[in-house]
Amino acid sequence: MFIFKNALISITRNKGRNILIGIIILVIACASTITLAINNTAGDLINSYQSAYDKELTISFNRKNMMKDFDFSNREKLEDMKGKFSDISSYTISDVEKFAESDYIEDYYYTYDVSLNGNNIEKAESEMANQNSNMPGFPDGGRGKDFGGSSYDFTLNGYSSLEAMSEFIEGTYEMVEIADDAWGKAFNGNYVLINEELASYNNLKLNDNIKLEDEDGNVYQFEILGIYKENESGASSPMGLFSNSANTIITNADALVAITDGGNVKGSVNPTFIIYNYGDKDKIQAEFYEKGLDENYTVETNEEVATAGLSSIKNVQSFATTFLIITLVIGGIVLFIINMINIRERKYEIGVLRTIGISKTKLTMQFVAELLMVGFVALMLGAGVGAIMSKDVSNSLLSSEISSSKASSEKVKGNFGGPGGFSSMGGEGGPMKDFAEKGRPKVEAYESIDAVVNINVLIELLGIGLALILISSLAAMISIQRFTPLTILKERS
Amino acid sequence: MKNSKVLLSIQNASYQYNDAEEGEYALRDVSFDFEKGKIYAIRGRSGSGKTTLLSLISGLERCTEGNIIFDGKNLKNINLDYYRSHDIGIVFQSYNLLPFMTASENIILSMDASGIKVADKKARALELMKSVGLKESYANRKVLRLSGGEQQRVAIARGLSYNPKMIVADEPTGNLDKQTEEEILEIFKDLAHKDGKCVIIVTHSANVCNQVDVVYDLKKVRK
Repeated sequence: MFIFKNALISITRNKGRNILIGIIILVIACASTITLAINNTAGDLINSYQSAYDKELTISFNRKNMMKDFDFSNREKLEDMKGKFSDISSYTISDVEKFAESDYIEDYYYTYDVSLNGNNIEKAESEMANQNSNMPGFPDGGRGKDFGGSSYDFTLNGYSSLEAMSEFIEGTYEMVEIADDAWGKAFNGNYVLINEELASYNNLKLNDNIKLEDEDGNVYQFEILGIYKENESGASSPMGLFSNSANTIITNADALVAITDGGNVKGSVNPTFIIYNYGDKDKIQAEFYEKGLDENYTVETNEEVATAGLSSIKNVQSFATTFLIITLVIGGIVLFIINMINIRERKYEIGVLRTIGISKTKLTMQFVAELLMVGFVALMLGAGVGAIMSKDVSNSLLSSEISSSKASSEKVKGNFGGPGGFSSMGGEGGPMKDFAEKGRPKVEAYESIDAVVNINVLIELLGIGLALILISSLAAMISIQRFTPLTILKERS
Repeated sequence: MKNSKVLLSIQNASYQYNDAEEGEYALRDVSFDFEKGKIYAIRGRSGSGKTTLLSLISGLERCTEGNIIFDGKNLKNINLDYYRSHDIGIVFQSYNLLPFMTASENIILSMDASGIKVADKKARALELMKSVGLKESYANRKVLRLSGGEQQRVAIARGLSYNPKMIVADEPTGNLDKQTEEEILEIFKDLAHKDGKCVIIVTHSANVCNQVDVVYDLKKVRK
């Protein structure tokens, strides 16, 4: 107990030195509070932003890789190219299930796509409306063997699970009408959801049966469980009357597998794997290749989408971290030096205290206690000042970062000739609009951090403060161990 | 132990500094006994090792050869911090008080260091100050505001604060005038003869040597 009493006496008798130490710790604490608050709040924002997205991994065909050696000027080689494309082995549902058996993959789902012609219904046809009858699972995605594909009336998208119905989850499609107990049936049998335009075109309603047929005339019957509409603005072309999805019929994957199992119709599978970490992408790709994926395919993640809009906040966070490290290093060095001087000034006192029998341990504790008392008060004051300043400082930093990002964004847009806003990542018009809307996510960048000093920040600050004080007390600890009372007192005499 | 009254026995003690050359001793082969209730003087010429011997007795250093036995315990085997804070009181020529503390705070600090259980430490400090001839009003004065003699009395009171069995003093009257020297010597004599303590004074002073019970001479160490 007398250690603390002595420490208090010592603090009050050396006001100037302790005020100086207090100010240094206060400045460090203030800077640390601000940077920790920015760091933590930014970290929370980043986490909550990223948690809005599953970590998804998909398989893409590497067209660039395939085309790099191809000579387009030589028409004679067109057949070679067709041959090359047809040699690429696609993957099947069983391949996907095999791929999913990986330590890096948490879950997976897929869509299975098939193209069929109408039997008792007609496709909603207008100019270029069938552009959507594309080639799912290119290169041989069920459209036929010939490169270039043949045209079918309808594309059937079969979902493996609710999670796979991304268009509905993201709001691209929206149900207009739905049969009772639709979700109970949706994944068990020949049930479909059709576009309201197709329904209207063929005068179809809920629970009607539609018939589709393959090239060989095999007929497949489905019951309509729901009618949906597409919320995307555009038809396939300015002349088109119908939306892109007018002739897209939605069903479950099992229903389509039953069709393709006959061997007359080909389907293509588009899997989405939910992974644990984006960093595992390369390992997953290597594992897929080992499990038989053709090397003309690559894997892609949605990391860019999940982190879009965070660059400014990440820059501020990175700046805050760097600033914190610099503050701690410089502050630590200054405190260490002050402590060294302090110990040298108090050598005589140490000699006397050692002479009257106070042990080195107790003496060290006294010196550390002095610094801790001053440090604790300064830390609390610094935390208070930092808490008051953190919100304004963080938003000021973010605002200048956003200004700088906007400036560079404007430069880029200037080069492409399109107007547009930073926050919508693509602008409101001009030739880049479609690219921006389709190719990139619609995300809002954070424009404020509102860094708050919460209990976590205070605990971290206390930890940092204690570590700093203890490290800077090393000077005292080492000196006290080295000093012998007799030598000190002889020097004094 | 030869005599049951012997409190401290120095047996063939020698001391060499760490950086000393081979055969170079600060103190060599010293053997003295000190009894309770007596006052001793250790005298010798400069370089004879008086201060070294005092630091060995005080437990500020350990002898490199030989033994020092205090109350049956070899100083080599005991905690010297505990020894200094309980068993002996040390008084220096230059007082070695903490200047930023008051007289009573210096005394109380010593009691705190020893961990002695005293109901009212301030009252005990005042009592000790009175016993060494200091006025109560000096208790709250910073020691730098006291004269040399008064500071030495505070140092003695500090040394007595935990009631040690032995008092060791290094030239305690070296900085004091004749009259104060006499007064301080009276205090030491009373501590030995009335309180039964063993008092050892390291000194050059013939006056001190004339008034003590036993004088030990230290001869200069030959290299």
